[in-house]
Amino acid sequence: MPTYDAVVIGAGLAGLSAGIGLAEAGARVFVAGKGMGATHWAHGGVDVGDVEALSRRRGHPYARFGDAVGPALTAHLARLAAAGLPYRGSPGDTPRLVPTAVGGLRPAAILPEAQAAGLQPWAGGEGLLMLGIDRFKDVWAQMAARNLARQRWPDGPAEVRWAVAELPWVERLHNLTALELARLFDDPDWRARALAQVRAALPDGTWRIGLPAVLGLARHAEVFAEARETLGAPIFEIPSLPPSVPGIRLFEALRERLLAAGGRFQFGFGVVKVERSADHVVAVHTQGASRTLRLAASEFVLATGGIAGGGLRATADGMISERVFGLAVEAPPQAEWLVDDPLAEQPLESAGVRVDARLRPAGVRNVRVIGSMLAGQRYLSERCGDGVALASAQRAVQLLSARSAWSSVRNVAS
Amino acid sequence: MTPTFDAVVIGGGATGAGVLRDLAMRGVRGLLVERGDFGSGTSGRYHGLLHSGARYVVSDPGSARDCAAENGVLRRIAPGCLELTGGYFVATSADPEEYLDGFAAACAAAGIAAERVPLGELFAAEPLLNREIRAAYHVPDAAMEPWELIDANLESAREHGAEAWRYQAVVGFARDSDGQISAVELEDRRSGERRSVGCGTVISAAGAWAGQVAALAGVELKMSPGKGSMLIMNRRVTNAVVNRLAPPGDGDILVPVHTVSILGTTDITVEDPDDARVTRDEVAALLADGDRLIPGLSGARVLRAYAGCRPLYEESDVSDEPSREISRAHHLIAHGPRDGVANLWSIVGGKLTTYRLMAQQTADAVCASLGVAAGCRTAMEPLPGPAAARPYWLGMRLADIEADGGGDADLVCECELVTRPMLHAALEAQPDASLDDLRRTTRLGMGPCQGAFCTPRAAAMLGDRDDGQRALLGFLHERFRGTRPIAWGDQLAELWLETGIYRGSLAVETLNVETPEARDADV
Repeated sequence: MPTYDAVVIGAGLAGLSAGIGLAEAGARVFVAGKGMGATHWAHGGVDVGDVEALSRRRGHPYARFGDAVGPALTAHLARLAAAGLPYRGSPGDTPRLVPTAVGGLRPAAILPEAQAAGLQPWAGGEGLLMLGIDRFKDVWAQMAARNLARQRWPDGPAEVRWAVAELPWVERLHNLTALELARLFDDPDWRARALAQVRAALPDGTWRIGLPAVLGLARHAEVFAEARETLGAPIFEIPSLPPSVPGIRLFEALRERLLAAGGRFQFGFGVVKVERSADHVVAVHTQGASRTLRLAASEFVLATGGIAGGGLRATADGMISERVFGLAVEAPPQAEWLVDDPLAEQPLESAGVRVDARLRPAGVRNVRVIGSMLAGQRYLSERCGDGVALASAQRAVQLLSARSAWSSVRNVAS
Repeated sequence: MTPTFDAVVIGGGATGAGVLRDLAMRGVRGLLVERGDFGSGTSGRYHGLLHSGARYVVSDPGSARDCAAENGVLRRIAPGCLELTGGYFVATSADPEEYLDGFAAACAAAGIAAERVPLGELFAAEPLLNREIRAAYHVPDAAMEPWELIDANLESAREHGAEAWRYQAVVGFARDSDGQISAVELEDRRSGERRSVGCGTVISAAGAWAGQVAALAGVELKMSPGKGSMLIMNRRVTNAVVNRLAPPGDGDILVPVHTVSILGTTDITVEDPDDARVTRDEVAALLADGDRLIPGLSGARVLRAYAGCRPLYEESDVSDEPSREISRAHHLIAHGPRDGVANLWSIVGGKLTTYRLMAQQTADAVCASLGVAAGCRTAMEPLPGPAAARPYWLGMRLADIEADGGGDADLVCECELVTRPMLHAALEAQPDASLDDLRRTTRLGMGPCQGAFCTPRAAAMLGDRDDGQRALLGFLHERFRGTRPIAWGDQLAELWLETGIYRGSLAVETLNVETPEARDADV
């Protein structure tokens, strides 16, 4: 008899959301994550793309479940709020441009509260101050301000300036990372001194302040409120290179919801073996620190991400394989994978596993594929990755719950 | 006022730098102009090998003898640029029997110390080599650092009164009534400013680009650029150079260079020497042949692919032969008797190993024409620089950083341990450096992540420079050029992570570079 109703493989946004949804619906669920997913290197906002347009695109995942994006997003934001990580923005909001750490402009509609002030319309005469931190190498206030000042930014700020604050004690640390700074901000005493020094570094005038995304980790809400109050100005965090503190907060909030809903979680170990019976997967094995864990379940959800996440792997001869179950991968021919411009849309973005209306790949009956593993999306160019992850996760939960095969197993087991 | 030099040397590769030094040591006041950074052409895009000469011992004995002699000279004058790895020639099952049979005698005839190595000894020294190798010779190959070699030549030339300018493209020549070149017209490739430099004589050491330079003087010089593509493996696979005991061909050499190994080299005749794209077919061919030397090498992580263009000279007007059949020997062309431009010379062909000999022969001829009697001293007088090789390994930088007590040692490039102070120093020496120029001086962005993390950090260190966005985008494009042909496995995942950061979080593609100040800058 299976140990679990469902095993979710992958602990990014899609996998954790599916795990939470299944656990909330009463399933015995196990989420197995091999390593840190996209949450840890992305900006922490929610990108759903142009749902309406993409839903009309043949072969796009939204063509199957675009209608699920709104409800899935609403549920997601409610979960995060319940975990103490409120977001601003709603499904259907028109994206606006927010400044990035290098001085680019990124379209965004739904952001964590700490980044949300970047979305507010700029009042006439309102200026933007890009704030750097001395000795922190992943914030580039001067470069960002210079580049922003050159942007064509309709309805942007009247002026962009930059300043650098020195923070207490950090001269003792080498190679300061965003994560270390966030942990320092969690400390109330250090924080009080740091914020006073930041305030002293501000130039005269009234500004909206863009600062590095380092305002606390475990006590982020408290840090953010205190920073806003001490600085006496609207502030917003700007994410930079990984590790992404906003992404880690998101990951931690989702993990907490998963555990609170009764789900189980293992992180750091990938699937090393798959047991099959005809067209069914019976169990997967993960390689733990001291032993192999056999995870038998009636349903499996594959959320291992695409090429960056390690769910797909390419070889020199142009073959792309799905690494857990060996599913067929749909991809353009190797000659067309990449275009000359590293910053243009890359045809290879669309690579993935093709599924039927019930999210099942060819050849296996009890596996559902969700998230950026799904073929036909270009999550970077279309900025739809979070929407696909959330909507496909919710669709998977609905499909599995409707079958309710696992709830009877559960009753028998209990 | 127009500055005037006795000699203007065009091309800042090893040959041009060598010519400049040789002339300067004989008292000829020279100027070197280079259209990019020094060593950014073929010299900086080769496999890093100081030839023993054995590579050409059968196909081109003259070249082999030149290499063997210069190998000895460079050990004496440029020890700081060399890592004396030694090299092996190995016969695999795919290599022809008759080549093996004639090899030892040919080496002896060319004066190359080739020593038969028992296979047990070979595999003990290089355990990853294919066990089906049936014979091996040891030869005095070595790894050579081209940028340090060029810098040392330029430094020595400057000590003797010469000048060297980078990012100066030759755009034309002024001619006097008898057809001689009276001035060289230059364009600064960053500011777009033009200027004119008076000259007594002009030496084109533009390598694969020599045809283009000659054309500016109305002279036809047919080059046959031979593109050679190479792969950078992410670690040292062997400690000595390994060559195939076969006529020169694709995938026949593996050179340990600092922390990595270079697998080379293809040979494809191209029209345009700037066309240094590596194709997927070349990559596949290199890996397939690499597997014959090191089984499983094709499954190892490849960091990057790159290509350089050999400065091969087409001796007849029509040649359907593949370029490897054209002699590697160099040619000094006096355009006076040939084309009626009495004070123009082109030095073409040759190899990095023979750069000094090429420079000597060029300077001999030029000095004779100028009536300068002084002889060549470059074979005896050491180049500036350390007296012994100090091959780079990561622990070396770590030791330096720790010896300083850590200090302000924040790492900008974690892969290659490039610190903030190192970049500050490099920028102080060259305030208008591009990130790629900084790479050549510091190894910025040369590690496994290929600039994913250090690019914006280093760009931010350019401060208020107007071309900051261009510097950032230019480096991303430059790094992508080398990762695109080898985008699979871990390196594709790395590239995808980088793409996610740059497009997803930083929206780098939205930077506005269309400012008047930056418009003409070089990307």
